[in-house]
Amino acid sequence: MSGSLLFQSLVLGVLLGGLYALLAAGLTLYFGVMRVVMIAHSAFLILAAYLAWWFNERTGLDPLLSLVVTVPLFFLVGVGMQRLLITRLRPATLTMMSVLLTFAIALFIEGMIGFVWSGTQRRVQLPYSGSNIEFFGANIAVVKLVAFVLAAASLGALYVLLKKSRFGQALRATIQHREAAQLVGIRTDRVAALGFGLGLATAAVGGTALALDATIYPSLHWHWVGPLMAIIVVGGLGSIPGTAIAAMVLGIGQSLLQVELGTTWAQTLFYVALFATLMLRPQGFFGGRLAQRF
Amino acid sequence: MPNASDTERPPPSPTRTAAPGPRDVKGTRQALTVARAVKLVAFVAGAVLILSFPNMAPNPYILSAGVVVASYACTATAWNFMGGFTGYISLGHAAFFGLGAYATGLLIRDLSWPPFVAWLGAGAVVVLITIPVGIAALRVRGASFVIVSIAFVLILLLVSQAWKDFTGGSNGLVVPRPFPDLLRPEHHRVFFYLFVALLAVMLLVWWVIDRSRFGAGLKAVREDEDKAQALGVPTRDYKLVAYLVSALFTGLSGGMYALWFGDLDPIFQFSILLGAYMVLMALLGGVRHLYGPLLGALIVGGALEYFKLEYGDTQLHLVATAVLLGVVVLFTPNGIIPAATDLVKRFGPQDSSIREMTAAELLERNENEARRAADE
Repeated sequence: MSGSLLFQSLVLGVLLGGLYALLAAGLTLYFGVMRVVMIAHSAFLILAAYLAWWFNERTGLDPLLSLVVTVPLFFLVGVGMQRLLITRLRPATLTMMSVLLTFAIALFIEGMIGFVWSGTQRRVQLPYSGSNIEFFGANIAVVKLVAFVLAAASLGALYVLLKKSRFGQALRATIQHREAAQLVGIRTDRVAALGFGLGLATAAVGGTALALDATIYPSLHWHWVGPLMAIIVVGGLGSIPGTAIAAMVLGIGQSLLQVELGTTWAQTLFYVALFATLMLRPQGFFGGRLAQRF
Repeated sequence: MPNASDTERPPPSPTRTAAPGPRDVKGTRQALTVARAVKLVAFVAGAVLILSFPNMAPNPYILSAGVVVASYACTATAWNFMGGFTGYISLGHAAFFGLGAYATGLLIRDLSWPPFVAWLGAGAVVVLITIPVGIAALRVRGASFVIVSIAFVLILLLVSQAWKDFTGGSNGLVVPRPFPDLLRPEHHRVFFYLFVALLAVMLLVWWVIDRSRFGAGLKAVREDEDKAQALGVPTRDYKLVAYLVSALFTGLSGGMYALWFGDLDPIFQFSILLGAYMVLMALLGGVRHLYGPLLGALIVGGALEYFKLEYGDTQLHLVATAVLLGVVVLFTPNGIIPAATDLVKRFGPQDSSIREMTAAELLERNENEARRAADE
């Protein structure tokens, strides 16, 4: 592998890792506030991508503008999902049953996408689809860069929100210790609903970013479920910095392996990492002691 | 009924030791024999219905649908060895189904083993592969376990698609038919009985485990794993054995399916949807019951086949499966068998083991008994 090729795939890996990190942050939010593993996250991701494509197809405007609609919409859907569905499950079996429930939601979305827009592969055509930027000798597609900037900006905004705002403090308190948070007067059920909405909003952003440079089809979300789930297990369930680091490392790893092995075999990296993590550190590399219990 | 709130316990009086009067005992005994007779009749009727299905099926299409439903019943029951006993819900049992199917096909194709020897060999292969996977997967609980189970299917899907020289990739793998002389309808009929025989073996094994110390340990894991461990149940080994048994039977169902269907494609063998069907069927019927998965398979499998016939292969079957799974999870997570028994119980005599007394009534009764004891 030549030096420039290595550098190129390294840069591409960072760009991919950024998107993974944003999406994994959403998954971590759900798990943090509700102990819910949201299988439907990547289905919502693909749904957002479809909405962006459809928006572009109908209006001819840049798909990025669809974010104005999809982000609030997904936020509301997330809040509604937590209020109406997740809280109905029995606390004793919440984690297991929520996996099944969100799995059902994922199937539902996949089926509806296929029903409404058919199973045909779709792709957004943009004036800047084919253009590249020269970056220290590496050729970077503009769309990938836009997607990364979008993901990085949202991740940054999420970080600021969690660290600086009062709501963020309440949210982190809820994640750390629900009962204690309730004792100091935090309305944890409301915070959990908002946290769920925030998580789903990351799927809206990620999906729009994905629509820029990927061919989309209804069952695409299964290709994202595996890697994302592997990332949150490797990073440690419930740890946002952990998942961000795991997302970056695995994204870069995948990108580097792609050159040698091709896309299909490169994907197995995630699963190898998953099983290696389970054998070496079942609670994940950055997770606390609670990770193993769920 | 002694209670923690009893301040002073009256000495056991002769009237109390004989608490359930002779008439009561007779009544319960009669109820028990009636219940047993009803069960026996239901069992015989069910078995006769199932065994006579191939003769009643009006055309080969319905017969082949019956074979599919029978294979669903096998996989759902096999899934229940893990899901029902230990409460570990695996969405990835399709992995074992696919492994069994592919192993059977490859053993016949590459080593030219006789079909049913290859089928048993495939079971061994599945167990060998499952041991390391199970050891890794069972280090975590709950959600992480589900993630691992999904990941395992996705890996196998990737590998079986990418490794074209070995598995045939998306071109599929053709498994030679074990009975080349049989006509299609006859072929379906033979395989229907083979599936039912496999199912019968599984049900028997389930029944035996259910009554064993091993089964009690597994159920303890389901109810509270930490307490079970503290009481000395070797939880890890028990879970692993249950996982292996479950994988073996799922693999055998897959191998049988391969022999019947004759054409394997990674997308359909290592399909997450298939794993979801198993969970749905078992949950719908009731995971704690011997016949729960079978009943669920009859309902869901029948509905799926009907759906396919009426609406063809649209995406709507995904939506229907999703809605059904959502409804089951939200409203009857214990399945319809317990729901139905509860309903029957509400109309039948009160269950005496559950105390339906308010604290005031209990206090009054205790006082009365104490007074009576003092009088004597």
